[in-house]
Amino acid sequence: MPSPSSILYYVFHPNELRSIIQWKVWHNPVHERDESKECESLKRSFYFLTKTSRSFSAVILELHPELLVPVALFYLVLRGLDTVEDDMTIPLEKKEPVLRNFQNVLEQDGWTFTENGPNEKDRQLLVEFNVVIEEFKKIKPAYREIIKDITKRMGNGMADYANNAEHNINGVNTIKDYELYCHYVAGLVGEGLTRLFVEGGLANAALLKKPELMESMGQFLQQVNITRDIKEDLDDGRRFWPKEIWSKHVDKFEDLFKPENKEKALNASSEMILTALNRADDCLYYLAGLREQSVFNFCAIPQSMAIATLNECFQNYDLFQKNVKITKGDACQLMVESSQNLQLVCEVFKRYARKIHKRNNPHDPNFLKISIALGRIEQFIESIFPSQKPPVDSKSPASVEEAEKKKKEDNEAKWDLIYMISAIALTVGVITFFMLFIAWIAGARFDIAYYQLKEQLGDLLGTNSKPAQVTEVHVASGHSEL
Amino acid sequence: MSSLESIPSLGKVVVVGGCGFLGSHIVSYIVKHHPQTRVAVLDLRTSSNRNASANVSYHDGDVTDVASMKALFSQLKPDAVIHTASPHFNLGPEILDKVNVQGTKNLLQAAQNAGVKAFVYTSSAGVVLDAVTELVNADERWPLVTGKAQPEYYTTTKAYAETAVLEANRKPESFLTCAIRPAGIFGEGDVQLLPKMVSAYRKGQTKFQVGDNNNLFDFTYVENVAHGHLLAVVALLKTHKILPTVPLDTERVDGEAFFVTNGEPVYFWDFARAVWHEAGDRLPLKSVWHLSADVAWMIGTVLEYTFWALGKTPNLTRAQVRYSSMSKYHSVSKARQRLGYEPIVSLDEGVRRGVRYILEQEEKVGQKKGQ
Repeated sequence: MPSPSSILYYVFHPNELRSIIQWKVWHNPVHERDESKECESLKRSFYFLTKTSRSFSAVILELHPELLVPVALFYLVLRGLDTVEDDMTIPLEKKEPVLRNFQNVLEQDGWTFTENGPNEKDRQLLVEFNVVIEEFKKIKPAYREIIKDITKRMGNGMADYANNAEHNINGVNTIKDYELYCHYVAGLVGEGLTRLFVEGGLANAALLKKPELMESMGQFLQQVNITRDIKEDLDDGRRFWPKEIWSKHVDKFEDLFKPENKEKALNASSEMILTALNRADDCLYYLAGLREQSVFNFCAIPQSMAIATLNECFQNYDLFQKNVKITKGDACQLMVESSQNLQLVCEVFKRYARKIHKRNNPHDPNFLKISIALGRIEQFIESIFPSQKPPVDSKSPASVEEAEKKKKEDNEAKWDLIYMISAIALTVGVITFFMLFIAWIAGARFDIAYYQLKEQLGDLLGTNSKPAQVTEVHVASGHSEL
Repeated sequence: MSSLESIPSLGKVVVVGGCGFLGSHIVSYIVKHHPQTRVAVLDLRTSSNRNASANVSYHDGDVTDVASMKALFSQLKPDAVIHTASPHFNLGPEILDKVNVQGTKNLLQAAQNAGVKAFVYTSSAGVVLDAVTELVNADERWPLVTGKAQPEYYTTTKAYAETAVLEANRKPESFLTCAIRPAGIFGEGDVQLLPKMVSAYRKGQTKFQVGDNNNLFDFTYVENVAHGHLLAVVALLKTHKILPTVPLDTERVDGEAFFVTNGEPVYFWDFARAVWHEAGDRLPLKSVWHLSADVAWMIGTVLEYTFWALGKTPNLTRAQVRYSSMSKYHSVSKARQRLGYEPIVSLDEGVRRGVRYILEQEEKVGQKKGQ
């Protein structure tokens, strides 16, 4: 039931309400899952999917039947891994072997994990993880291999971080560390999904030859989340903004949140946003390699949300005080626009790039760099959907010689025209003269013709008084009667 | 192609206009990156912007005098020629014809006579820009705009010279040419772009902004332009080595023109504001007055006629309105693919260097006055 405040909100933002209605009423899923044919363990797996993910379950559930189950299981496996990693109540010596061994767990019938703390929100998934394993056994071996490979690498990466005492105390140090962390938790997901898409024949295999693109797909989403969640993470005692960035602006991480450092905090946030923005053109490039509508939607919707979120965070001090979110109306509009074609998604990116551009502050240390990153997005879009074609060659002269030649030709053409018109005039004149001459010889009365012509012209122009003429004619005819 | 960067010597290179803004940067680039190259600078007057390296020699000469050019070239016997000389933009058509077109032809003749292998000409990105159309990610397929369609006679002469250079390619077979088209060059020693922007700040013009500022614009830091020229020289010399084999059409450098920019198009006023910030401006974004392009155009028209009657140039002209509200940026894919070009100095670093140079020069002048 909508609250009175939200009703009031939509009264003043009818466009957003319109987008919500549009999405809810008119959106037809590309593919629908057929629940009637599902066994109990699969149903339970889908139950966990909708339970553990609000944003991803919707797009996963619309995926092409070929990939629906593999991708859903991939998500649940990684969610399980994440639930072990996140839980600070599990001691390291217990956590590490689970993380490093998770790919093997996938093949152990009936494996479950009950040692999560009671407050861990997704603990039930691990308690009943045997259903996921049950379903995992049924998917194609090629898909299983991909999921296992990614799980192995991500689990080891997470274990490395869990082991790294410095990381646990001070958070992420350099930008390189930051991107490595994002690689483990998101870049690898991009790789795994891409391999699944290509294996299923739903994406261009060339995507695998450009690994930086799938990496950017994951990095972009993860970096946006980290940038947006700074306050929430602080409250949970975690910090993911790299020291290399915030230390340029404040001495201590906590200082970012002090009101007197407002401008410095904003400058630090725009550097975070810039780091993410530099991945945006890669993401559009990646989307160009997808072949199937449901896969396109699955990939494009989160990306559009991400750039809109960046816009929301940009030069917004709320970032340091509360959770910054895009409105529900905007989210629905983005979903509508991102579930059609690449050109519309490019429009979304361009629109948000320009929104960010409008608020770019010339006194921010990264002002010009941000402008360049936005320009790069626009230029990339132009390179795939050019708004301007090469102009028609108007054949301007390319050299002095040509210019002179053209001038000479133009001049010649002018005289040619004059000669031609004179020749025609002369010919017509001569013929006319001869015709008249022959007519005259034959007895034509040009004097009468001339007189009548004058008369008629006079009539036409109204210089002769008409009634007089009529009388005259009348009289004349009377005589002849006599 | 980056391995070519480490070639210590390119033999003997003549830099025509080597005491000018771009030319002097090309000379320092050669001294820095190809240190064993012998550089001969040819300029009308060689007293300013001289490089201290012992490998650089200076020769006074006039490109409009074909006999003296031939004599000099047969004495120097260069391997490569980089022709950057150009008279000032605003000079009359006769001098533009004489230097840009005839001067370039004289140099081509002299170079052909002296057995030069590579000839690189500094053209201009403006050769594809007419009076009405914007340039959105324009590439080398865009046709030349000259004569009546070209608003600047200077640019017409640059285009004519470019054609002359490209037509001279492989005449004789061992003479290879190409043209570089830079867009909006700026940097230390530039007399057009940054000094004008800095003086606009001093006059308090940062309060105004024309147009919606969604127009992307190419600016190019001078060292990147120098880098592009030298990549072209290296590529031509490399093609020369494999003569008489002709490279594939998609890899060819000889006989071709290349746009060279920073590859970082930015919104026009963002560049200006970055320059102003570097020069000391701290005006908050919200205090800026936004003028629509149409209104500014009308004001410009009125001002231009009023000031014309007074015999002066106003602070706001229609040409400025157009340039500040139009998109003008290029694709540098061709230079990337065929020359291995990648800008070596980013735009913001270039702005920092260029503006600091102006401020330092002013300080020096101030100190001299103080003494």
